[in-house]
Amino acid sequence: MSRAYLWFIGPALFLMFALLIVPILVAFGLSLTNYSLGNSGAGFVGLDNYADLFGRSSYIKMFKASLTYVLIVVPASVGLGLGAALLITSVKRFGDLYKTVFFLPVMAALLAMAIAWEFTLNPSIGVVNRALEAGCGTMLETWTWYADGCANSFPLWLGDKRYAMGSIAFIGIWQAFGFNMVLYLAGLTGVSRTLYDAAEMDGALSAWEKFRLVTWPMLGPTNVFVITITTIRSFQVFDTVEALTRGGPSKSTYVMMYAIYEKAIKQNLLGIGTAITVVFLAFVLIVTLVQRWLIERKVHYA
Amino acid sequence: MTDTPVTLPTSTFQFSATEAAKHVVLILGALIVLLPFYVMVSYTLKTPVEIMSGSGGLFGTQTPFTDAFCLKAGGTDVECTKSALAYNFGSAFKKAPLLRYLLNGVAVTAAIFLIQVVVALPCAYALAKLRFWGRDAVFSLVLFCLLIPVHAIALPLFIMLAKLGLTNSYAALIVPWTISVFGIFLMRQFFMTVPDDLIDAARMDGMSEFSIIWQVMLPTAIPALMAFAIFSVVAHWNDYFWPRIVITGDKSLFTPPLGLREFRAGLDGNDFGPMMATACVIVTPLIICFLLAQRRFIEGITLTGMK
Repeated sequence: MSRAYLWFIGPALFLMFALLIVPILVAFGLSLTNYSLGNSGAGFVGLDNYADLFGRSSYIKMFKASLTYVLIVVPASVGLGLGAALLITSVKRFGDLYKTVFFLPVMAALLAMAIAWEFTLNPSIGVVNRALEAGCGTMLETWTWYADGCANSFPLWLGDKRYAMGSIAFIGIWQAFGFNMVLYLAGLTGVSRTLYDAAEMDGALSAWEKFRLVTWPMLGPTNVFVITITTIRSFQVFDTVEALTRGGPSKSTYVMMYAIYEKAIKQNLLGIGTAITVVFLAFVLIVTLVQRWLIERKVHYA
Repeated sequence: MTDTPVTLPTSTFQFSATEAAKHVVLILGALIVLLPFYVMVSYTLKTPVEIMSGSGGLFGTQTPFTDAFCLKAGGTDVECTKSALAYNFGSAFKKAPLLRYLLNGVAVTAAIFLIQVVVALPCAYALAKLRFWGRDAVFSLVLFCLLIPVHAIALPLFIMLAKLGLTNSYAALIVPWTISVFGIFLMRQFFMTVPDDLIDAARMDGMSEFSIIWQVMLPTAIPALMAFAIFSVVAHWNDYFWPRIVITGDKSLFTPPLGLREFRAGLDGNDFGPMMATACVIVTPLIICFLLAQRRFIEGITLTGMK
């Protein structure tokens, strides 16, 4: 056997070290310094960057924004993904058509669609607020929120700190649920017909009973996988925030990826930027470990 | 339906009612999903006045209008009277070098994919079919690297590129993505299913290990490679985070999403239509490919849910 394999794995190994392993180590190292590009050296500052992260109010707001985003987007896009998958498998016709439509946002460049959403939600020319205004004077006004909107103005959505995070999260859900739907559709094909028949014989007749006793437990591994990947991706939200709100208004959408970009790239504060990176990595690691633990523990019924 | 025996009218009716209710929910969902796509397309069909005033119905009146900028630039009345569609797409390509951005996007995406394959395929082959000391360790390393999210290494890579003076270059857009551990993993899993006999026969014919990879393994791996291609191309054509970091000034290196973002920065009312035309141009190629090869796309993107 020749040494050909060295040529085969050599380039990949080299690139893995140079582009993946070393950068991770560098990130850890730099997070302990006050490094800036252009400075000759870097001062070792110990855990100061981390103390800042967990002490200063702007970074507390950052964690709050990221966690809020994750806590809205993950349950909503996982729930909608599962709901869409269940509905699509249960209708007799047009199921594939719905699937295609729901998958479109996954394919489309998020930055382009974020700007399309910005126009859609624009307070003066967007179709959303125009449609809302068209409803004024009808019985919708019995809803106080709506009456207030008619009397004064409807929300500015991305420009109002009470609504900005909701709007950004909405776009995130819009983009993510089709992906989850497809994963659930694959999971559902793995649930054997005979299990439903058996459940029916045991007296589980309603659709809800069948879902609770068969579908849901059998989807265990899919659930774990879908929730993990959606959580990790939600921690990575950047495009919509950078293009539409730049972290504002009043830091209400100041998510971690945007903070990394703002601190490290725009302000050249690479120490604090890499410290945020390390915390982000820790979040991802925790999510992954929980996933492993769940998979090994109890989600395998098949 | 009219022939249904009268003994079962309630159950048939009930059944179709739930079916109808499901369709109502699904159609409502589809409308919300399609809303920004509709806004995007309708803006490209409307004149600036129609966009600002919300007139022109769902897709604009399509009456030709006079482009004030064109008149100012010295055009004649005839030249400057055009349809909204011509104005929006015309300005999209004229006001910004959109064509250049698109070519950059194609070049970068293609280069990334080709290099990924050249690096990953031999490695995957070695991991699947060759026996050598340290193979398991290398594979474990691949599995470990799968866990590293790209966002976590962005800053160190940026610093390394800056130190080498490589920011604002094609290399900066391409080099960090040349290693795809996911590609290695995927192709390795696929090669495991290729029978050893095939490789032994090729060796017997005197083929070198090198030509076995490209002439025997590559052709068998086309389906897996297609899935990987879709994953890679979609991810890098749409990527915004990385280009935003490494391309800071040089507009001639902008990828399509960066170009669109830059367009937005100098925004005035006349540019809404052209901007959405730009968005259309960026989004449409992948959407068309997706509609033509749906199953492959969904496979390619979900199997990579691993990432």
